Amino acid sequence: MSVQDLILGLHRFWAGQGCYLAPTYDLEVGAGTMTPDTFFRVLDRRDWRVGYVQPSRRPDDGRFGENPNRVQKHFQYQVIMKPSPAAIQDIYIQSLRSLGIVLEDHDLRFDEDNWESPTIGAWGVGWQVLLDGLEITQFTYFQQCGGIDLAPVPVEITYGLERLEMFLEQKDDIYDLDWSPDVSYRDLRLREEKEFSEYNFNAASVAMLRRAFNACQKEAARLAAKDLVLPAYDMCLKCSHNFNLLDARGAISVTERVKMISQIRALVNDIARRYTTVKDGA
Amino acid sequence: MEFLLELLTEELPASHIRSALEQIEAGFRRELAEARIEVRRLETLATPRRLVAAGDLAEGQEDREEVVTGPPLAIAKGPDGALTAAGRGFARSQGVDEGLLETVQTPKGEYLGFKRKAKGTPTAEILAAAVPRILGSLSFPKMMRWAAGSFRFSRPIHGLVCVFGGAVVPTSFEGFAASDATVGHRIAGPGPVRAVDLASYREALRKSFVIVDPSERREIILAQIEIALAPLKAKAYPDPELLDELTLNVEYPLVILGEFPEGYLSLPIEVLSTAMREGQKLFSVVRDRKQLPSFLGVADAPADAKGLIRRGNERVLKARLADARFFWDQDRKVPLGDRAAGLKNVLFQEKLGTYEDKTLRLKKIAAYLCDKLGEAEVKEAAVEAASLCKADLLTEMVKEFSGLQGRMGGLYAREEGLPAEVHQAIYEHYQPTSLEDASPSTPAGAVLSIADKMDSIVGAIGIGLQVTGSSDPFGLRRNAHGVCKVVLDRKLRFSFPLLVDRILAIYGDRLTLGRAEVKAACLDFFAGRLRFMLEKKGYRYDLVGAALGPGIDQIVDAQARVEALDALKSSAQFEPFILMAKRIKNIVKGLPSAKVNPDLFVEKEERDLYSTLSIIGSNAQPMMARGDFARAQGIIFKLQPVLNTFFDKVLVMAEEKKTRQNRVGLLQSIAKMLLGLADYSMVVVEGEKAAKSKPSR
Repeated sequence: MSVQDLILGLHRFWAGQGCYLAPTYDLEVGAGTMTPDTFFRVLDRRDWRVGYVQPSRRPDDGRFGENPNRVQKHFQYQVIMKPSPAAIQDIYIQSLRSLGIVLEDHDLRFDEDNWESPTIGAWGVGWQVLLDGLEITQFTYFQQCGGIDLAPVPVEITYGLERLEMFLEQKDDIYDLDWSPDVSYRDLRLREEKEFSEYNFNAASVAMLRRAFNACQKEAARLAAKDLVLPAYDMCLKCSHNFNLLDARGAISVTERVKMISQIRALVNDIARRYTTVKDGA
Repeated sequence: MEFLLELLTEELPASHIRSALEQIEAGFRRELAEARIEVRRLETLATPRRLVAAGDLAEGQEDREEVVTGPPLAIAKGPDGALTAAGRGFARSQGVDEGLLETVQTPKGEYLGFKRKAKGTPTAEILAAAVPRILGSLSFPKMMRWAAGSFRFSRPIHGLVCVFGGAVVPTSFEGFAASDATVGHRIAGPGPVRAVDLASYREALRKSFVIVDPSERREIILAQIEIALAPLKAKAYPDPELLDELTLNVEYPLVILGEFPEGYLSLPIEVLSTAMREGQKLFSVVRDRKQLPSFLGVADAPADAKGLIRRGNERVLKARLADARFFWDQDRKVPLGDRAAGLKNVLFQEKLGTYEDKTLRLKKIAAYLCDKLGEAEVKEAAVEAASLCKADLLTEMVKEFSGLQGRMGGLYAREEGLPAEVHQAIYEHYQPTSLEDASPSTPAGAVLSIADKMDSIVGAIGIGLQVTGSSDPFGLRRNAHGVCKVVLDRKLRFSFPLLVDRILAIYGDRLTLGRAEVKAACLDFFAGRLRFMLEKKGYRYDLVGAALGPGIDQIVDAQARVEALDALKSSAQFEPFILMAKRIKNIVKGLPSAKVNPDLFVEKEERDLYSTLSIIGSNAQPMMARGDFARAQGIIFKLQPVLNTFFDKVLVMAEEKKTRQNRVGLLQSIAKMLLGLADYSMVVVEGEKAAKSKPSR
């Protein structure tokens, strides 16, 4: 089974559970949680079911293609079900079985792990799912997002696609994975990992990133004031990614870090509040 | 009659399970006692998905005779003793034969009434009402909502079994009606399981691959470990906390013995065991105190017939160890001294500055402590250790395994070839991390441990970070316990308030609150923590209060004082002396301080008291100064007879002003000397106990 078989399998399974299959969001994000298909849609009272693949960029995790487990960009399969179905754990287990995993031969565990993201004012309660000791999924009952208490409560299931694929292919090196029968992860990603690691840690222009952070922050505030919450939120995502790059470059001083995170959070919380109070006619 | 309750949930954290079982047992005991249901047996059991209570309860309340009271006799009966209309009305309304009415004596006088048999309520009925109350009041450190509900619990709920005497109790909880059916193991035996009592429940679950009793699971784990390790003639490295945790993480334990490549054995044992324990909850395997390239894991499965669970865990561990090896090799390329320069980029606390700022303070505090403790020979080592001790926060290893902070710094310092005193001090400067943890084993380690913790405490209090109830964001309680433990374990003598002064001076104007305020708050906070620690050691709360009364100039003295009081508390002299001390304190309370002039004594008894006091004082003072309070106390008891005679014969509040002031002055000097030992007014003696307040938290 290749990575794309895995993605197809998850798409098929979650579509069968009534999920809308969203296209990947077209901005750099640190986690699938941050795209509008999760961030905004969990805020209101309407039911919502979605599944999508999202590249997750963590500049600081770059290892110049030399580490068999860590990469500065990996792929998540993100599922949101709102309200959380009573049988969601069983449904999740079925999703693993649908990938051909014979769970009777393995040790599946729901191991306490609560999640939070201070940048977007979000936290939840749940587990990391371990398969024979390998973390394959983060399973979270979302309690708050954008500083707002969520009701009904969504469940967020985030599969780490590379992790799961390494399990399925029984491989020890991420670059040995098959993306398709003919294309390996190495073909697709090794050069990208090398170049982006160099960019993230050494080559990125600190001055440019700072200007970009400040400009996006101002723009986000300006747009939010006009109740253009979706464009304003995009600007916050750009801020967040620029911040992560500056951080990887080692360019953020201590006091700055706290300030920058709280600046983004304040904007995001304001945007969340406006999203829920401004009617969109739907 | 047999009672069985199971709340089926999604996987609960181990700490939540422990707390829930305590709350459930207490809840049932309270409810059943209030309802007068006899509890013959009550126990709690659990798996990650089940909270279980079971027991043997009486079938119902005992039948009782109760007295029904009607109108006052004066109204109910006429002067002739015959029932009035009111009396007859009462009998009619109660449906009782008039012949059964009798006079009832009450505190308010005589009333008309009658006795009747009250049928006891059946236990099932009591349980039906109590179960939702008990389960609904469970609280957890972190609670969640789910789906469209607003109810908060540890994790979502899936079912309720509640059976008494073989019949389902008609109750429900959060929309789940009680039944006698539950489910088995999530993967291995999910089918329905029926249960009418604990014995049938246990056995039915066992067939569905669930061992519901945690102590049985623990025994299974231990037995399987023994079997797995027998061929290796090895042992699992004892880790009772991990064993407890794993026992509550699985429904059907299966011990897995796996291996990792021998090459990784060159990593420090701290790194190996942390990589195993913190990542995957694995036990280390040792033979003759040497680590073997093996590990033990506990899976939640009936078997690993194909070896896939073992191989999966081996692969995950190998990747982690490969990371750890990479970190170990990389980290050692940069000397700690060079690395420490980067601490200016690591925040300690927003207002208290970076770890570079903290490091500079630690060097000064460590130097000060070495001077005060007379540890001149380790001063250089302690200061060097202080300058390097936080550098490991910047190593990849500590970023990955934060629990290794301090210890990694010590190991890297050793690898660099730094002196043993330096690398050991760095290694152990976070110790003790709890009241059970060991204090540092070296003088420099102890100094650095105290300096690090005191810097955090004074700083946090100085910017107004409050410790309240359950909230202690900066770990101030743990830090204060650490300081006290090191001081008490190593019997370190230094003035605690002066140390606080010194740290306040080092902080300079970084703190937002005034120095006097911060100092008072620190002393108060430490007095509170010492009180907690001493009471935890089993000393009587009032003796602890008395021992803390003189203040905590020397932390060691607080313990020495309470030890002295504790040793003497059952002696015949103790209580009369306490009463005498209280009497003196009462007399001089609020009076202006007066000088004693031996020439102004009038009576022989006051002259005797004065001279006895001088002798006793000059003997006791040096003992107190070196903390030998038991002997000092023994000597001071000798004042008692002289004081008795004094109070018998001498009127303190004499008419003549100079005589009076002189006598008051004499008692004041006694009170002052006594306060050097303990604040006796805090000691509760027989007869006062009921009136005094409860022990502190």
